[in-house]
Formats: sequence, C-alpha cells, structure tokens
Amino acid sequence: MKRVISVWLPRWPIDRLRRERTHRHAGKVHAAMVGAVNSPPFALIAPNRRGPVLQAVDRAAGAAGLRCGMRLADARALCAGLAVEPADPAADRRELERLARWCNRFAPCCAVDGDDGLLLDITGCAHLFGGEAALMGEITERFAGLGIEARTGLADTPGAARALARFGRKAFRPEGRMADPGKAGEAIADLPVEALGIAVEDAQLLRRLGLVTIGALDRLPRSALARRFPCRERGDGVLLRLDRALGRSAEPLMPVERPPVCMERLALPEPMTDRDGVDAVLARLMPGLIAALKRQGLGVRHLVFWCCRIDGGAVRCAVSTARATRDGDHLVRLFRETTGTVDPGFGIDCAALHAVRVEPLEPVQLPLTGDGHRSGDVNLLIDRLRARLGADAVCRLEPVDRHRPEKAERTAMPDRDTASPPWPDASDGPQRPFRLFDRPEPVDVVVEAPESPPRLFTWRGACRSVARAAGPERIEPEWWVDVSGGTVRDYYSIEDSEGRRYWLYRADRCSSGCREPSRWYVHGLYG
Amino acid sequence: MAPPRIPSAGPVASAGLSALRRRIAALEHRSPAFGVGATGIGLSGSWWFGVSALDAVLPGTGLAVDGLHEAAGGTVADGPTAAAFLAALLVRLAGGGRGNPVLVCQSRHGAARFGRVHGPGWRDLGLEPSDLLVLRAGRDRDVPWAIEEGLRCGALAAVLAEVEDLSFTASRRLSLAAREGATPALLVRHDGLGPASAACTRWRVSALPGDADPFDEDAPGLPRWRLELVRCRGGRPVTCNVEWKRETGDFRMVAALAD
Repeated sequence: MKRVISVWLPRWPIDRLRRERTHRHAGKVHAAMVGAVNSPPFALIAPNRRGPVLQAVDRAAGAAGLRCGMRLADARALCAGLAVEPADPAADRRELERLARWCNRFAPCCAVDGDDGLLLDITGCAHLFGGEAALMGEITERFAGLGIEARTGLADTPGAARALARFGRKAFRPEGRMADPGKAGEAIADLPVEALGIAVEDAQLLRRLGLVTIGALDRLPRSALARRFPCRERGDGVLLRLDRALGRSAEPLMPVERPPVCMERLALPEPMTDRDGVDAVLARLMPGLIAALKRQGLGVRHLVFWCCRIDGGAVRCAVSTARATRDGDHLVRLFRETTGTVDPGFGIDCAALHAVRVEPLEPVQLPLTGDGHRSGDVNLLIDRLRARLGADAVCRLEPVDRHRPEKAERTAMPDRDTASPPWPDASDGPQRPFRLFDRPEPVDVVVEAPESPPRLFTWRGACRSVARAAGPERIEPEWWVDVSGGTVRDYYSIEDSEGRRYWLYRADRCSSGCREPSRWYVHGLYG
Repeated sequence: MAPPRIPSAGPVASAGLSALRRRIAALEHRSPAFGVGATGIGLSGSWWFGVSALDAVLPGTGLAVDGLHEAAGGTVADGPTAAAFLAALLVRLAGGGRGNPVLVCQSRHGAARFGRVHGPGWRDLGLEPSDLLVLRAGRDRDVPWAIEEGLRCGALAAVLAEVEDLSFTASRRLSLAAREGATPALLVRHDGLGPASAACTRWRVSALPGDADPFDEDAPGLPRWRLELVRCRGGRPVTCNVEWKRETGDFRMVAALAD
C-alpha cells in the first residue's frame, strides 16, 4: 500500500525570507533581520484590486488578530506597529522546489504541493528512519532546524495526508495526524470539508447545506450531492477531491525529480565539509547500487548523485552513458568531472545515488583470452568525453535528403542503436569539399565574367587569382520548404594560382523579374 | 626529384650497419622489419606511402602506427591542406581495414576558422563518414585532453585533431598515449611547427598548382602538395612533391615545376 506524507509549511513565505536574510548576513545578528524574537509583527503584502492585502503573517501578527487576505489598511488599524514587505511568489516557488529536492533525503519521490506544501511518497522508506512515527518526527525536527515551521500528515493518499497535515489536531485523535494503512477514510471523517482543498465558495455552499465534515459529505448519495451545485463541473470537482482523498480514484504525484528505479543512500554521522570526501562517499555508494542493478538484470543509462546539505540545499550531479552499463569504476570516473565543483557549504550530511534511467542488461560472457573487454569499447570513451565536454560535444554525421549542402547532413547522438541511413554514392556528381563553413563567407569578386567563375577575388583580405575552375553545379532552392523563393546557387570548385582549392558559389534571387546583382560566397575548402 | 641514395658500403660494413639498425629498433620497442612495402600496408602494423622517395627515408617499419604525427601548413592559409594530407594518410591506414571509428577533434574556434567536417566531402576523400566520431570542443584547451582520452581508449582506428597550441610536454604525453593505446595520432598544428615536439614525424605541407583534369582542361585535376618531412625519428628529412589520387588512394611523385 502506498504511504504519503504531506508537509504543510504554514508560514512559508516569511520563513523563506527570514532564511534568505540570515544566509546573506552569514549568522551576524542584523538589525533588519525580520521576524527576530522581539521584532514587531510582520506581514507580506501583495497588490490587489482593493489595495494592498496581506499575503502572509508571522506568529506575532497572527496573535494580534491579523489574517491573510486582510487589507493592509484594516491590518494597520488593528496593529499599528505592523512591519510589511512586498511578497515575492516567484522566489517562494523556486525555493519550495529546492526544498523538495532536499527532501529526497527522506524519500525518492517528492513533489511540490500548492504554494505552501510538499508531498513525499514514503512507500517502503520508513524503516530506514525507524518507523513512520519516527520519520514524521525527524521531518518536523529537521524543518525546525532549518527555521521553517512545518506540520506533517501521513495517510495512504495524498489528499488524506494533506487534510491531516492542515486540519488534523493532536487532541482530536490519539495517534495525531497519522492514519493507519487502509484507515484514511476514518481518519479524515471528522475533519471539516475545507480539508479536502476545495474552493472557498464550494465549502461555503456545503456548510449552508449542513455538510460540515468530510464524513457527512461521504454518507450523502453522490447524485444528490452533485445536484446541489449550480453547475455540474463544480459538483464533479468536489466529488473528485473526495474520491482522491479516500483512495477511490488515483492522484498522481508530480515529482520535482524523476524518481529513480534503483537507489542507494548513505546518511553521514557527521556533516562533511571536505570536498574530497564527496568522492569517497560516491565510491562507497556505488557497489551497493551496482549489486542492486545486477540482481534485477539492469544497466544504468542516467545516474544522479545527490548531496543534501545541512542548510537545506541539495547538490545534484548527473552522468549519462552511451550504453547501459554496470561498470562501477567507469561510472565513478565519469562523476569525477562533475563532483569537483560540488560546494559542501556548511556540510553534507546525506548522499544518495539514484539510477534514474535504466535498461535491461544481460550478463556478458567475457572472452577467455585475456581481459579484452576493457580496451575496445568506444562507448566508454564517448561517455567520458560527454561527461567532461557536454552532452552535445560528440556526434556522428548522418545524411539528410536535402538539396542545400549545409542541410544535407545532421549531427546525431553517437549512442543511437538504430543504424544511420546509408550515405549516397560518392562516385556520381561533382566532388564535395571536406571542410564546410557553417555560414558561407562573402567574397569580393574583383574581375567577373558573366555566367562563369570569377577571374580574381578577395577572401579574408587576400587577393586570389583563379587558375582553374570546374562547374557550375546548380543547386536550386527547396520551394517545398522555403516558400519565400530563396536563392539559386551556382557552385564552382576553384583552384587558385597557388594551388589552394575553394568551393565558391554565386547566389541569385530567382523570383523577381529584374535581376539583382549576384553575390559570391566561399562555402567550403578542399585540401 | 630523385630518391635519395644511401651511400654504398662494403659487405662487412653493411652487415654491421644492419646489426646496429636492429639494435636501435629493439631499443625503440619495435620489431625490426625489412624491405619497403610497395602498397599501403605491407607488413602488419606498418604504414607506407607507396612513394619510393618517401618510403626510403622512413625507418624500417614505416610510419609508426602507434605514434604521433604532426603536420602544419607552410603558411596559415595552408592549414586545410595539411589537414587534407593527414586525411590522405588516414586513407592509406584505413585501407588496411580496421573498421573502427576515427575521432576527429576540433574546437569551435577552429571549426569557424577552417570549416567544420563535411560528411560528403569526407567520403570523397575516401573515408566513410559513418565511421567518423566528430568532437567539437567549446574551448581550445579541451582538445588535447580529448585526444589523449581517444588514444588511450584503444578502440579507435585513429585520432585526427586540429590544435591551436601544444607544448613539448603535451606532445610527449600524446605520444605516450598513442604508444599505450596503439592508435595513431594525426595532429594539424595551426600554430605552425614549433621548435620542439615529441612527434615521430613532422611535416610541413603546402599546396602546389596542379595539372588540369585530363577530361576538362579548365577544371582542377589532382591536388598537388609539397611535403617537407622536417623531422623523422629513425629516418631522414626529405622534401618532395606528390599528387593525391583519391580514387585509388595513392600518392604519386611529381617533378618540381621549373621556375
């Protein structure tokens, strides 16, 4: 059975701002630090049709009776000493995603939930932390350590976990905000309907109908409930929320990172501030992952190495391979290109190795004559080159059936399994240059003869006189691609008086009746 | 130009000479081989021009298959000519048929200056474009690293690279990597042939005006190059003019034009 933890961050925008300021001043007590112990009530505001309204309030402001959505003028009337700052929803969202990545330390599949929550799919993870209750305790404790107020709820479905985190009360059930497996319906039956996360007007309508709790809502016949709503969509929306919370219909999580197929995790007893230690941790994680892959007959194509820092950040290093592999030494070597830039910050206390993309890999019989498998694998070379120089640094060339020479070939990933199309036969047609310029370079033709190659031209500041020329080879524009007409090119292969060879063309606009003066370009070089 | 003549010696002296040659070859970790192959690869692991004037000055095993070979243009504008010469050498090596990919390394800067590798033209030179592994490095200084990785990997037919700047130490590294991976390294030096390098052979290549095509008197015929073998480990320097015949993959000696 699936188990999901919902983490609710009730004062996320303010906590985020406070953390940011604390970081910036690197631990110094700063007068402008918001939300310090004895500071005045603080709130974030956002412009609205009715003037600025409160977006988030801290604990002191909440105690003074201020609520989100209140107008600033009303808030000032209630609490004269209120300090305000503009909200920054984009930064809140960005930081929340970072926090979700950091939560990979608890579970492999973590998702952002709305503007102020996280969802962690902890199926099969809780035993690593000593049980579900211990895991929930650890999450709350860790978040408190980061200076973020958090409340957690645990249930079989994201909807029920969310309801328990936001509306569950310790006093209301002995086991707190935890629902036992298969008991999600009972656990949330007494919670108010707002806990389903439905729109405010829907909740108001349900309350007017006398449906205060989720249990009461669930006991009502579905068709009768749907009829109460003014339009069908709203009724269906509420029922869908109810079904999702009770596990009758699925609610997929959208994880911030693709969850791994296979993972290996290491919690460090002491935070590690040494960069060299990163490689040691990686080397320790690798054998476990390789063994797990071997058991399942899998090889890895994309591998992510996570380092969780104690200050709530996560560093991500990723490598891809050209072919599925279980060669631990090779993978460690690939990571060496990226782990050198890992910044441990205040310390790394947890690391994980995630095999994100895998492919079946059968065990290979090694040749009996020596260890021939080490040398002779181009794919290992491709991996190393790509790990250091970027994924698009190495490519193969592939022919494309197009007229224009610069479009007649394209670069393809070298790890493609399918065979590339065959190159057209070389013997027919004029010889092509082995060097081609990405953008043809214009030349000044000094002495031109009509309908024939130039006698004298200037390219890159040097004047070259033409000794021999072959051509023209006319290449027409592709009217089925380029509807604007394009240019006709007449290509000549030219040898100058010193024996150097160029591939020149003359470009003519073909559409208009009146002829524009033609232009000349160098497009390639022969040896 | 006539092939250089080896000064004749008596039978006793020649026996001593061949014993010395064998000893030097043993010191250089090579098996001594005798005779000059008439076509591309005569003996296994050896590499010839098929031009007697050139083959005579090479060491007894021909061009080193596990060595570093450098070429530079006579002027900066001859850089592509030097690259074409090395590609022609590669055709003669690949004629032996390993069927393994060739790693071609360029920096983005180099590709903008002298053009990028063009598959159809590569095919016209006599090499299969599908065997190419094209590496385009963002920075010039990544190129030597990539060459070394390619050489040590041992799975490539050859590494053909263009470098902007290479120190003696770096060339020594590449030379050792070529030895280790038994893979030839062919370098186009856009910085010219510097004072020192650990390469087995160093060539200066310039384009020469060629003959007309036999079937079209206006069209260019076979490319003609002036090859200066500036340095050759275990051989002697030489200068000669050759034509490259791409259909058959042969070099042909031509007489120097009288001025």
